[in-house]
Amino acid sequence: MTTTTAATTTSTTAPEPLLAVDGLSVAVASGARALVVDGVSLTVAPGECVGVVGESGSGKSLTMRAVAGLLPEGLDVTKGTVRLGGEEVLGLAPRARAALRGRRIALLMQDPFAMLHPQLTCGRQIADGLRGQGGRGRAVRAARRAEVERRLAEVGLEPSVADRYPHELSGGMLQRVATAAALAGDPDLLIADEPTTALDTATQAAVLDLLGRLRRERAMGLVLITHDLRVAFSACDRVHVLYAGTVVEHGPSHALRTAPRHPYTAALLASEPSARERRPRLTAVPGSVPAPGERGPGCPFADRCAFTAPACRTTPVALVPLAPATAGGAGTPAPRASASATDPGTSAPDPGLSGPHAADAGGRATACLRAAGLGPLDPPAGEAAADGAAGTGPETDDAALVVSDVGRRFGSAAGDRQVLADVSLTVPAGEVTALVGRSGSGKTTLARIAIGLETFDSGTVRTGPVDLPPGRRPSTADRRRLAGHAQIVFQDPYASLSPLRTVGATLREALDAARRGGRGDGAETVESLLAKVGLPERYAARRPAALSGGERQRVAVARALAARPRLLICDEAVAALDVSVQAQLLNLLDELRRDQGFAVLFITHDLAVVRQIADHVAVLHDGRIVETGPAARVLDAPGHPETRRLLAAVPAPR
Amino acid sequence: MTARYVLRRLGGTLVLLLVLSVAVFALLQAAPGDPARTLLGPRNATPDALAAVRARHHLDQPFAVQYLRWAGDALRLDLGTSIRTGASVSATIGGRLALTGQLVGLGLAIAVLLGVPGGVLAALRRYRATDRAVQTASLIALSTPAFAGGLVLIYVFSLMLGWFPAYGPGTGGDRLPHLVLPAVALALGVTAVLLKLTRAAVIRELDKEHVVFARARGVAERRILVHYVLRGALVPVLTGVGLVVAYLLAGTVMVEQVFALPGLGSLLVDSVTYRDVPLVQAEALLIAVLVCLAGLLTDLAQPLIDPRLRPAADAPRRPKERR
Amino acid sequence: MTSPRALGRPRGLPGPSGLRPLTALSVLVAFLLLAASLFGQTLLPHWDAQDITAGARMPGGGHLLGTDELGRDIAQMVIAGARSTLTGAALVALGSMVIGNVLGLLAGYLGGWTDVLVRRWADLLLAVPALLVTLVVAGIGGGGWALAVCALIVLTSPSDIRLVRTAALEQRHLPYVEAAETLGLPGRTVMLRHIWPNTLPVVFANTLLNFAGAVVSLSSLSFLGLGVPPGAPDWGRMLSENRNLLWTNPSAALAPAVLIVLSAVVLNLLGDRVLEAFSKRGKS
Repeated sequence: MTTTTAATTTSTTAPEPLLAVDGLSVAVASGARALVVDGVSLTVAPGECVGVVGESGSGKSLTMRAVAGLLPEGLDVTKGTVRLGGEEVLGLAPRARAALRGRRIALLMQDPFAMLHPQLTCGRQIADGLRGQGGRGRAVRAARRAEVERRLAEVGLEPSVADRYPHELSGGMLQRVATAAALAGDPDLLIADEPTTALDTATQAAVLDLLGRLRRERAMGLVLITHDLRVAFSACDRVHVLYAGTVVEHGPSHALRTAPRHPYTAALLASEPSARERRPRLTAVPGSVPAPGERGPGCPFADRCAFTAPACRTTPVALVPLAPATAGGAGTPAPRASASATDPGTSAPDPGLSGPHAADAGGRATACLRAAGLGPLDPPAGEAAADGAAGTGPETDDAALVVSDVGRRFGSAAGDRQVLADVSLTVPAGEVTALVGRSGSGKTTLARIAIGLETFDSGTVRTGPVDLPPGRRPSTADRRRLAGHAQIVFQDPYASLSPLRTVGATLREALDAARRGGRGDGAETVESLLAKVGLPERYAARRPAALSGGERQRVAVARALAARPRLLICDEAVAALDVSVQAQLLNLLDELRRDQGFAVLFITHDLAVVRQIADHVAVLHDGRIVETGPAARVLDAPGHPETRRLLAAVPAPR
Repeated sequence: MTARYVLRRLGGTLVLLLVLSVAVFALLQAAPGDPARTLLGPRNATPDALAAVRARHHLDQPFAVQYLRWAGDALRLDLGTSIRTGASVSATIGGRLALTGQLVGLGLAIAVLLGVPGGVLAALRRYRATDRAVQTASLIALSTPAFAGGLVLIYVFSLMLGWFPAYGPGTGGDRLPHLVLPAVALALGVTAVLLKLTRAAVIRELDKEHVVFARARGVAERRILVHYVLRGALVPVLTGVGLVVAYLLAGTVMVEQVFALPGLGSLLVDSVTYRDVPLVQAEALLIAVLVCLAGLLTDLAQPLIDPRLRPAADAPRRPKERR
Repeated sequence: MTSPRALGRPRGLPGPSGLRPLTALSVLVAFLLLAASLFGQTLLPHWDAQDITAGARMPGGGHLLGTDELGRDIAQMVIAGARSTLTGAALVALGSMVIGNVLGLLAGYLGGWTDVLVRRWADLLLAVPALLVTLVVAGIGGGGWALAVCALIVLTSPSDIRLVRTAALEQRHLPYVEAAETLGLPGRTVMLRHIWPNTLPVVFANTLLNFAGAVVSLSSLSFLGLGVPPGAPDWGRMLSENRNLLWTNPSAALAPAVLIVLSAVVLNLLGDRVLEAFSKRGKS
């Protein structure tokens, strides 16, 4: 167990910060009491925006849930302090703790559709959080209504929204309503937990802007929890990077972005695809985050780190402040004064022993043992690779997929909707074509039509040698022929594999299907498939539940490859993965494509990913293709407003 | 709520009723043997008598015609005469309606008043001792057939304690004490069903993210419970109440038998035993109407509670987002 | 410091400490009841030995639970009587499971008109009170045990149909099912190999619950004089015949009542446990 007793005790002279978390640990309440949050410290000053960044399993959300007193069932705070405006709150009675919520601290969550009660009007839900607005009289009601309308105006919504029910509003508007509701009690500190993740790219930026404006206008502290470094750097003053329940590095956004001092931060930055330039290869972090309880005594990142020294695996690490003068660039860590960093016996933070506090604005600290030796790590590789094959017009003769003038309507109780209208698209053999658009643009429908999972009303679709019939699902014989030509990898790694079957059984079935279809040479085995996607043989005996998200997607790719397809459709196949794992998958896809020469239709909303992987781009907007062309041309000189909007939605560092 | 929605539900109910009434009418044909003999009952089946019965019930005409005539008569509340007693079926049923109505009403009241709060309580204390106790009690109640429960109630509360009368309907002001034990026996299983349903619905609501969010912005716990949790659980619970009416009607058959109550339930058992087809048909039709009505009422109540279930045409236009 | 005890927060998740001994006990009781229904009448060939001169007596004198009006031993009769109720109820639960799986799977996977028809059929059957329909059908149709069991199978099946249909529909568009389709596997294979197995735990739990429900329904029918022929040992019939003995030998009526309730409790409990275990596994 690491004892990262960071030296962050507030000095007596400094003004009390809005929030001071010190050495906070959260453990599973039963069983082995594995630590999911391990000695996290951070401070937030009034009017400051602090980013808490980490991949899944980093403990970022649980840390802030613990601060708000809203830990889910089965988890307990085991040590540490949380001070709100100088007052220690962990020891308060539940009732007193609840009284702080809304007024001092409020939490905004991820999914606006789940956050609001479906049977109550938006105005009512905002009013429920207002201070001292109880009472029944007509005058009170009128005042309450006026206040609700004022709050709606504050988040940029018209007064009539007060009478709407959540299902009548869009996701972006709902997130605004939820923000108004969270701020109804005028809290000093707002914790926003992935507030934009469930939203469309184009809406994400607007919600981030709103949060930034509200923070400035209200001089309120804001903690932004996110998995996305780009989001954190674009919105926050300071950023804390969490890994496996501990803070591995923190500092001002700019400094962290340009000169990371922890290999994990550097690796995260390097695996982040950029919309501006194509890198020859994304730097992927091997492996995945260790589960709580499976972390060794040393640095939790040691197993995945490129710079690991023997000492890293055995020596407990602690955040060590970097000298302020050198914080932004090269420098050595200040001498370590904390005895506890090298002595696992002293686990509780001891103010008397603490070193120079790292909580100063602009202060930086890193938990890397080798920080002094390594110096500032490389920011993301600057060299740009040549963009994908461009110019050569797609040849329809040899195309992996030809879609022409396809239309599709969906009928529903609310009325018909034209999901696709006159869509034409050609995916040339052996190259990567990206189909880009926001959610609801019809891109997934098009992908599903191409592989026979969805019907279309008009036009023609030729997937390789198979002409798909309009108006009905393909016959079993057609599906079998289709299977030899095109395969698909879906977005959700957790639903991609049959939960009851082992990986081996899933792959064997795919191989058998390919063999019966007269494809596959029989040389391919479960083991060779696993090897292709970089998984060890022993994974054949495992069930999906024992695999991480990235590993499941690898298995899904292997299943698709069993049929030796000429076209691989990736429907947001990396969107649900952490960036470091996403980079692994993108690299793997790139390698496999070079090796096997199949074409890829890559469905995504993320233009940064497009830049990394695609040769051609087609932009889909409201069911129509609005722009097509070589990836480099479209991204460098976007012609259609929708393309420009999608580009602008990629968070850029300030 | 638009008139279209009401009309559609009403139409659906009528279709269901139509199907059920055809099935009820078909009972006569389904009974083994010649329908005329069935209708004649134990009386001497002379050719003349058989011919008379055939003529009166139009048995020589096609099934559809027979059905339409029967249904037309039924709409005028003319349901024929009992084979056993020769009395008018409508009068026989009418005479017993009040007792069974009181019994079902009391049973429903007990079930709702015990089951719903019990379910809420169990959900709020879930996995703790209170929840376990409530759940165990409900498990036993669910597993107890009304007649077994009734017998135990008689044994304990009439024979051993002497608190309530064991048998009979009582008269006038004496009615209520006579109905307490039967109503409890009747409500046992239904209470358990409602409790299970309420508990599940409340737990589902408690786990919703909007409850965490309400807590996260400082909405008072009491307000969360009443306006967020219970509000959300209302639709499934109400639907459940509508559904259990059918169970209650079925239960009366046994309860009236055990407690020697001359209601519709014991009438049905007697009629079935004597193959008194007109009476059985009439009772089955009555039950079908009641069940359909209960279903219609819950259907119509739902959109009043949940705005998402209101028809789309009714919803105002989406306001635009300000940029 | 623990999290605040806000409303509805369970104090601890149900762990192995919970009601596990009760579950084990239920399994044991279930096996005993099964054994009684299978071998009871073989092991106790003289269960219906009469002693009319003795009449109904309180427990004692070699009769553990006393005797009924005909002087028959109540203890032997309730063991012998396990067969009709339990085997009948098991048939109801299993028959309904088979119908439910076939129709539910077809409706959920094929969709379209198949789905509409199956759904309407299930809705219709769900709307009517099963016990009353069985009473009327079995009564008018001649009152046989087999007819009652068949009617109950048909009337119980909607719960299984709905369950399997919903589970199949939920999975119908899950990526792993669609991935199996894009491998070119025939629909039948996809349905049986990828969709069906994942519905089994819930179906199994529901079968136990239906089993319990059928115990209640079947014994109710025989209490009303339908089902088993006169003279056959049966809990519901015993209860009906002996309810006048509450004053002379209460156990003559109470023993079969207790056994009916016990069987149903045990089956309901096991069904709930399976459901619980499954939903917990689904979450992790």
